[in-house]
Amino acid sequence: MIVVELRKLFRRPRTWATIAVLNALPVLVAVLLVLTDLAPRPGEGPVFLSAVFINPALFALAALAIVLPLFLPIAVAVVAGDAVAGEAQAGTLRYLLARPAGRTRLLVAKLVAVLAFVLVTVVIVAVVGYFVGTTLIEPQPVVGGGTSVSGTSLTQQELVQRALMAIGYVALSMLGVAAFGLFFSTLTDSPLGATMGALAVLVASSLLFTLDAASPIAPYLPTRYWLSFVDFFRDPILWRDITRGIALQGVYVGVLLAAAWANFTTKDITS
Amino acid sequence: MPEPAGQGPSARTVAGMVARGAAGRWGVVTALVAVLASLPAAVGWLPASDAAVSAADLRAAVLAAGDVAFSGYAESTGGLDLPVTDQLTSVADLFSDRTTMRVWWRGPADNRVDVVTPGGETGTHRDATGTWTWEYERTRATRSLLAPFDLPAPPDLLPNALGRRLLSEATTAEVSREGARRVAGRDALGLRLIPAEAASSVRRVDVWVDRDTGLPLQVQVFGKDDDRSALDTRFLDLDIGRPALETTAFSPPFGSTVRVSGQTDVVLEAGRRIQPVPLPAELAGLPRRRLDGVPPGIGLFGRGVTLLAVAPLPPRLAGGLRHALADSPGAVVDAAGVRVAAGPVALMLLDPPGHGPYVLTGSVTLDALAEAAAQLPELGGTP
Repeated sequence: MIVVELRKLFRRPRTWATIAVLNALPVLVAVLLVLTDLAPRPGEGPVFLSAVFINPALFALAALAIVLPLFLPIAVAVVAGDAVAGEAQAGTLRYLLARPAGRTRLLVAKLVAVLAFVLVTVVIVAVVGYFVGTTLIEPQPVVGGGTSVSGTSLTQQELVQRALMAIGYVALSMLGVAAFGLFFSTLTDSPLGATMGALAVLVASSLLFTLDAASPIAPYLPTRYWLSFVDFFRDPILWRDITRGIALQGVYVGVLLAAAWANFTTKDITS
Repeated sequence: MPEPAGQGPSARTVAGMVARGAAGRWGVVTALVAVLASLPAAVGWLPASDAAVSAADLRAAVLAAGDVAFSGYAESTGGLDLPVTDQLTSVADLFSDRTTMRVWWRGPADNRVDVVTPGGETGTHRDATGTWTWEYERTRATRSLLAPFDLPAPPDLLPNALGRRLLSEATTAEVSREGARRVAGRDALGLRLIPAEAASSVRRVDVWVDRDTGLPLQVQVFGKDDDRSALDTRFLDLDIGRPALETTAFSPPFGSTVRVSGQTDVVLEAGRRIQPVPLPAELAGLPRRRLDGVPPGIGLFGRGVTLLAVAPLPPRLAGGLRHALADSPGAVVDAAGVRVAAGPVALMLLDPPGHGPYVLTGSVTLDALAEAAAQLPELGGTP
């Protein structure tokens, strides 16, 4: 059933259109950077964009940083929100459930498909960013790999290792969004409603995070540790927020998946 | 109702089974959420174990712990809204914002403190002769040599540095014991300092001291008329043990701007002005302190947590400060001059003809500031 769901997701033109749109913005940013030669200062604009003229390979991370705050979560919410509610709206859900596989297995298959989408999307954005960066931007002659946020030098090998870990972390950070989308998708027959629900949670979380009065609940907000992938580029790596971010995403996925299961397995399927 | 023998379950029975199944499943989910949500609170409720240490001994332990090596993660929260000008915004941010810091401490003259922000950081690397400051946002490394005094910087806000500084001049009569609590996962013994000076704007300082090493783990400063702390700095993580030398060392990376600092020159330059006003040996009941290397135009009075500074200001700095003071809500304007209090920190600007502007500031009450100004007739204070 998992293979069926994966095949269905990645055969859909809409999936690839979403990924293409997601890549359009970083490519546009790269073209503008090359044309104007105006990189933002470190600490301004998207993270790592300032460093791409020194090390163009870092555009892989800059591309992720560009899509991370809004575009990537929207794409994930659209796909996750569509997972169950889309079948219900199209009237195919009861045929799916007519098979002896069971609802829990269908839910797991849907979750795996959404997770695969997250991973594939993040990797494609990073790979496209890497190629766009290295082909469009002329590097400055620099010895070694680059400079860490802490002002120490990193070798090319260290830089690659940390970049891979950061890409993995960004993919993990999207799991919470996917879980919210999937849960809302079992509540309603409208994919749009499920997507908007997941996005509403994210907007609320981002807003509360900026508010000092909300600091007691800040550690539990799903977007709280999203930017912590920067911590991979401090020297030594600051693991504190990264481990908390991973644990928090794990808790959200666990709880929301349990809620989706509790709701879906006893739900009346009418369409 | 009993089911008829030999037939399948009725529609009502099926509905009942489904409802019971749903309730069971939601019960599992609710229990899971309850367990996860109560975990942080449960960890927070772990009791701290106290020790029978006297206040004087605990203070001595803090002063002796200067060489304890550690690494950690600290957070300081300031509630002071200092009215300042463009030149000193970094100082104002320090006391009004939440500052998170990573620390590697090999000793007082070999340590590193990184102020961590979501997209960057500013690291201060201290060595035997001065400091390197690395600013990622500006790709800039700044070398500063040790000065007789410095403007407040993030490393001064670390619990270990601040706690030791505030307790260093406290008398035995001023300190008392105050229970125990858990800070950074360690047992911390409470030490309360209530300054004896009537002029002090600080009601009390609570220092929470690591039971095993004497390292201050949390410092809370309370103003005279505020129940919430004006400054709260604490470790969130702490590892006792010497960090590696290469972690605290620094050399400017390739492609960065390197410069030599002159930040304290603003203050020192003004202090060297040609005709310094002679300052008395005592001001508002606070005795004058001797500081090596500080020009005679600058005076520092008081002791421990109660300090009053009198310093000449460059006119360009004074203009901005005058506006900032006048615009501050709660500014006191009377015959003695304009003065304002931000938490326990009080500020007053004097502008005597022929001498250039002077600032009076410190952890004293507004009344003490007025009294001090009255004792400085050369600076235009009215007795």
